[in-house]
Amino acid sequence: MKIVVCVKQVPATGADKRYTDDLRLDRSGVEAIINPLDEYAIEQALRLVDDGSVDSVTYLSMGPEQASEALRRALAMGGDEAVLVTDPALAGADEWATAKVLAAALDRLAPDVALMGMASDDARGSLVPGAVAAMRQVPMLSYGAELKVGDGEARVRRLSATGFDWISAPLPLVATVTDQVGEPRYASLKGIMAAKRKPMQTWSLADLDLPADDLAGGALTRVTDTRPPEEKPPTERIENLPPAEAATKIADWLELRKLI
Amino acid sequence: MSNDILFLAEFVAGTAARSALELATGAAELAGQSGGSAIALAYGPGAAAGAAGLGAHGAVRAIVLGDEDRPAITYAAATVAAVRDTAPLAVLAPATPNGRDLAAALVGTLHVPAFGPVREARVVDGVLETEQSTLQGSVITTARPTDGAPSPSIALVLASTFAPAEGGTASAEVAQAPEAEDSAFGKATIAESHEADAKVVNLEEATIIVAGGRGVGGEEGFAPLHDLAAALGGAVGASRAAADAGWIPYQLQIGQTGKMVKPALYIGAGVSGAIQHRVGMQTAEHVVAINRDPDAPIGEFADLFVVGDLFQIVPALTDEIRRRKGS
Repeated sequence: MKIVVCVKQVPATGADKRYTDDLRLDRSGVEAIINPLDEYAIEQALRLVDDGSVDSVTYLSMGPEQASEALRRALAMGGDEAVLVTDPALAGADEWATAKVLAAALDRLAPDVALMGMASDDARGSLVPGAVAAMRQVPMLSYGAELKVGDGEARVRRLSATGFDWISAPLPLVATVTDQVGEPRYASLKGIMAAKRKPMQTWSLADLDLPADDLAGGALTRVTDTRPPEEKPPTERIENLPPAEAATKIADWLELRKLI
Repeated sequence: MSNDILFLAEFVAGTAARSALELATGAAELAGQSGGSAIALAYGPGAAAGAAGLGAHGAVRAIVLGDEDRPAITYAAATVAAVRDTAPLAVLAPATPNGRDLAAALVGTLHVPAFGPVREARVVDGVLETEQSTLQGSVITTARPTDGAPSPSIALVLASTFAPAEGGTASAEVAQAPEAEDSAFGKATIAESHEADAKVVNLEEATIIVAGGRGVGGEEGFAPLHDLAAALGGAVGASRAAADAGWIPYQLQIGQTGKMVKPALYIGAGVSGAIQHRVGMQTAEHVVAINRDPDAPIGEFADLFVVGDLFQIVPALTDEIRRRKGS
């Protein structure tokens, strides 16, 4: 049983990013990290190794050469090997192009489960996993609070409107998990040392037999304007008042705005 | 290509989800701008019987993709077929897990522009234009498809972006779905279904939310929050810390990995206001925070920040509201 965990390198949460005058997102000088929600996918995969239901874990990332740092960090948590797909033609790739590249790499790696985080910190559409499944023509199990594999199928425990369901589908498939799978483990010093010797391959689009022209056209959406959010009045503060007086002030505030 | 606006209309346990009503009205608004019709893609238990009722909220036509209780993603092939058949200008999907799954299947199959999650959508110069809050709410970006991009444009629409039109009596013309190809997406099945111990509300439908965080301290600490919510006619929500601690069901978690809500009033008690929580509630119209830490991050973006002990202030506020409401 083989799992490939897709890992994305993103700017650190809350880091200072800005739009430039020509409406491009400027990420220069910003610390890069593993997308925090991908760490839960890594953790879920490693737990399945721990309980014996998975034999190998490979990490796959698409990004600039520096994204190899994210893959090394993932390998320090556990797992066996990593693949970075990097190519100058991929700068500015949108969800569709990203999914196309990941799908082609997954065709090569042929895992039973391609596992991803539920969203990325810097592009919150969550469209890549489903698009990859559509391109590979495999089932998708999404938003799992837990993933199980075995007997030719995988299952996720997923919140429903009124409780939870176990949803199953035959392998191979694409799955995504949430932050409910459990806290990601820390990389131990031993893990960090071991990661340096784990195999990491770098693939270009040519290695994937994926002509850059197939990804041509570039992004299908463009930002036409940026502006600050609506100006809000400054925060009003209530401090150092006895609870009953504070409550009266809050109620006045709510009543003035017709909220009670 | 037509000028029609499609929208995903999910049915749960026999009735249309709130998102379906909101998007019916939203799609009708956009269709008015494009010169087309609002068309529902209805799926889930109750869709066959309830699809016509979407007409009251703005849908002219409703295509029923299926009526069974099965994973939403299994309606992907039918969604793709209906989109190909109607060739709309845009498709509106709710920015919920199910809406995202179906939108992703569309994007992966059709290679079309995708936007979202958006807080505003309109048709300008014959194309979809959207607004999105990015960089932790510090910037609003406007976006459009690039020139010559294929149709339709897909938008993931946040809850409460549109207010459902009420009082309508029109009926949507119900149509059967066009034949769909077999798809691997159809192989997902519900193997087991478990009901929660307590009834959980859908936070996306609440206009007033009282949320508790780590500062609430435990399951019993939520009792005064429930009282306040009841007095206000609202619902109780939580931060991830409170859900992780098992004090409250995950269905009530607000934030990046929980619900994205846009109530008229959000009251956070003992909620610090971490970025992950903030992205789920920053579009609330009014934000009140009660926290004993005067430096809590929520104090930086709340409209009213009350520094004090929630276990004293929340019950006092509940009493005061009951008194003013005369109940």
